[in-house]
Formats: sequence, structure tokens, C-alpha cells
Amino acid sequence: MAEEKADRPVPKPSVYIDTSPFWEGAKNGKLVLQFCKDTKQFQHYPRPVSIFTGSRNIEWREVSGKGSVYAVTTIRVPGPGLDGRLPLVVATVRLDEGVRILGNILDADPSEVTIDRRVELAWDPLSGDVQYPAFKLV
Amino acid sequence: MTDKKKDIVIAGYSETAIDFKTGRSAYDLGGEALAKLLAATGIQKSAIDGLAVTTPLSECPNPFFAVYMTEALGITPTWLNYGGTGGCSATGGVARAASAIRDGHCEVVVVLSADAPSTSWRANYGAYRSEFQDPQGVQGPPATFGLLMSRYKHLYGLKQEALGKIAITQREHALHNDNAYSKFKTPITMADYEKSRVIADPLKLLDCVMFCDGANAFLVTSAKRAKELGLSKMVYPTAYAEVTNFNGTDSLAEITETGFSMIAPKVFKQSGLTAKDIKMFQPYDDFTVAVLMKFEDFGFCKRGQGSDFTLDTDLSFSGSLPLNTGGGQISAGQPGLASGGLNLAEAVRQMFGEGGSRQVKDPKNALVTGIGVIPYARNWGTSAAMILEA
Repeated sequence: MAEEKADRPVPKPSVYIDTSPFWEGAKNGKLVLQFCKDTKQFQHYPRPVSIFTGSRNIEWREVSGKGSVYAVTTIRVPGPGLDGRLPLVVATVRLDEGVRILGNILDADPSEVTIDRRVELAWDPLSGDVQYPAFKLV
Repeated sequence: MTDKKKDIVIAGYSETAIDFKTGRSAYDLGGEALAKLLAATGIQKSAIDGLAVTTPLSECPNPFFAVYMTEALGITPTWLNYGGTGGCSATGGVARAASAIRDGHCEVVVVLSADAPSTSWRANYGAYRSEFQDPQGVQGPPATFGLLMSRYKHLYGLKQEALGKIAITQREHALHNDNAYSKFKTPITMADYEKSRVIADPLKLLDCVMFCDGANAFLVTSAKRAKELGLSKMVYPTAYAEVTNFNGTDSLAEITETGFSMIAPKVFKQSGLTAKDIKMFQPYDDFTVAVLMKFEDFGFCKRGQGSDFTLDTDLSFSGSLPLNTGGGQISAGQPGLASGGLNLAEAVRQMFGEGGSRQVKDPKNALVTGIGVIPYARNWGTSAAMILEA
């Protein structure tokens, strides 16, 4: 994008459960998600319990960040937090670890981002040293 | 044989006009709906001993809104229900009222939904959204529906002219509806639909609802009590089913598979009807694709054939499957979370024979649906369906 990007608002971590491992991971360029130790499955977004068993026997684990586009849209109308970002490509990415995550597809023409295209982790700078997980086409 | 229940009735309905930025509150709109309901049914307010209220976007910071509403209206209920399933709260309120009446908690219930989000939007969903959905720019339902539509299109194909036909048909119906938002009372053409601005690919502006202000109310009681009260017009809610967080423990569930696929067989079994028997379809219509997908889930056509079914079927009020005969929310305006009552009110109106210039010819039953809440990267949170029979 040619225009100078303004700093984006940085979300406050741990608003409703402790999500600090996600944010610590992001700082180090790692995508860290919740993993149910009993059923050996990832879940996202983070929850207070395993959505599979209801237990709190969950931990945070790094994922590869590799996956494919499951669904995709391009946001074309202005809204809060979208200044200078339109058109904004958003995809539901199916990670190879078997969990889905919403992410922007960076530096891609919307017409290139089609379902089943392979993607890998990329980082979207928010402000200062805070970056947010996103994806790019491979 | 079925276990069709005909002990409970909806014996009255009312609606305010739908308008944008009225400057009014949910209390004021709700009060108007109640006064109209009393006038339409001729019952005394003192006869009401149950109240089901829908959580409104405009008053949701007050956890005691339902109790405040009893005071505002001067009603002393022995059963009070506060519905938090958004667009499923009206049909869900009727179903919960039926259970409460059968359990003896109350006899005469008003199911009241009023909201004024275009005047005062006060919702804050909190939870995961600020950390896990807002940074990506997914702030409202349109982006999530763009994603859902992309997936449907990928699997089955999605014909633009089918979605356009739903929008145009409902707009035609809104022209007959005195309560519809005045700015929507202009016909639209396929060219208008095609030119309509893309919001979140492939979702267009004319696929979407617009938040307005409005209210609706229903009188629910036993068939026996209705007769004692001298009420003559009534319909029977013979089937109801709902599900929330469908496929909620499957991280990889196909998002084009919705809760309606689970509850449609239930309402058909309860009523003993099939899709072929349905005389009118009043589905919750936040977006045109939700209507198209419900044609499939309720078995009007097979999965993936929604576009062709839409194009091959006369969906006008005089057609073979009358669709949202008051214009639906898309063309009458969405009265916030009172939205589910809009589709329900139109069904009851038609079955009472009060459809005026848009009257359905043989209104002996209706299928009504609700949708509540748009979750993270799926379809919708709650799905509800009700069948009404004469």
C-alpha cells in the first residue's frame, strides 16, 4: 500500500480469559493457539475450557501457520479500524493442524485469493513491537 | 399419526411502523405495540399475566430491561421471560410462553419485541471480539456473510440473478406494506441489483438488511382461555424447534451446513406436514443468501439447488410459495432485535386474512424462521423454526 499506514489500535490482551501466550508468541513471530491435551485437537478462538471435553486440561502450542483458504471475502466499505486498509481481504484459513482462523491475506490482489489456495503465516504490524498474525499466498 | 398440539394459540398480533432514527426508545415503541395489541384483540391489560420480552440492542446495558418494561407497561406477570437469542426471541418467546401456559405459570402472555438501534446503538459484544476478530476488520455480519457466501459459491455455485430475484420479490411485497420503511417503498429491478454496491464480496448492498426502529407484539394463550376472552381470530403454533451453536464442537464443520438442517425435520415431524404442504414461507432474512440456503434446509429443493429453485419458483404473494409477503426485513426494514417478530407478524396477519392487497390465497399454514447472532467464522448462532396452522 502506497499510503503511510497509521498505527492501528492494539487490542488489550486477556479481556475475557488469559490470552497472554498468544500475544507473547506473536511478539516472537510465533502463532500460538489453544490445544486440548485430552483429545489432541486445537481450538480457536481461545476458550475457557476445551470445547471438546469441557475440561480445563488445555495448553498453548505453536502451529506451523501453513494452511489453505477455506472461505474468503474482500471488505470494501469503510468502518471502524478500516481506515487506509480497503479493499481488505479476509479469509477463513484452515490450518494444517486442523483448526480454522480468521486472517487478512497481505499483499495480494483480491482476485488472486481463491478457495483452496495455499497460504503461510505473515505478520501485520499494528503499533510499535505489536504484530498480528495474518497470511500471504504461497 | 403425529402428536400435533392444538391447545395453545396466537390470538392477536400488532406491529408499529418501521422507521429510521425515530428518536424513540424501545419502551415507547413497545408501549405502542402493546396498545395496538389491546385494541386489536379487545382484551383488558389486566388479563395479561405473562410477558416475554426480547433483549434490545438499544437498551441492553440494562440487565433488568424486562422488569423495567413491566413497570413501563403496568403489567404484573407471574411469568417473565427475557429472550436473548436475537432474531429467534419472538418465535422462541411464543414457544416458551406455550410451555409456561401448559405448566400453569400463566394464562395470557404478551410476547413483546421492541428495539431502536438506529436511534441508539448500545451493544458491546465484548468476549473474544476485540482480540480475535476486530483486528482483521471483521466487525459486523456483512464480512461473515461474505465469507459464508464465498464458501457456498465454491461448493455449489451461486447465481446472482437468484439473489436478485429474492431482493426484488420482497421489495414488491414491501410496496403493499403500510408498516414498511418509507424509503424502501420504491420498486427495484435486476439492473438495480446488479449495480448494487459490493459490501464484502460477493455480498451486495441490496442483499442486506438495514437497522431501523420498530416493535411487534403477540398474544399467546390457551385455546380455551381465548374462547373465554371472546377472541375469534387465532392460529395454532403446532411445531417449534431451535438449536444454538450447531456443530459447535467441530472445528472443521462445513459452514454451509446450518442449524436448520437439524431442526427442519423436527418441525415437519411435529406438525405432520412436509415442505410441499407449506402455504407461505416467512423466513428470517438478514441477508438474501440465508433465504436461499433455507429453501434447501427445509427441503423445498435439494442442497446446492437453491439458485435454480429460486429462479424456477413463483415467490410472489400470489405464487406457489409466497415468500416474506410483507417485504421481509430486507425491504420493510430490520427493527433491531425485534426483527424475528416481523416475519412472524406477517405470517399471523396473512393467516388472519388481513393481508390486504398482498393477501395469500390459501393461508392455512405458514413456516416462520429466526436467526440469532453471527459468530466467529461460521454461519449463525441460533436457528429457530415455527409452523403455524389454522
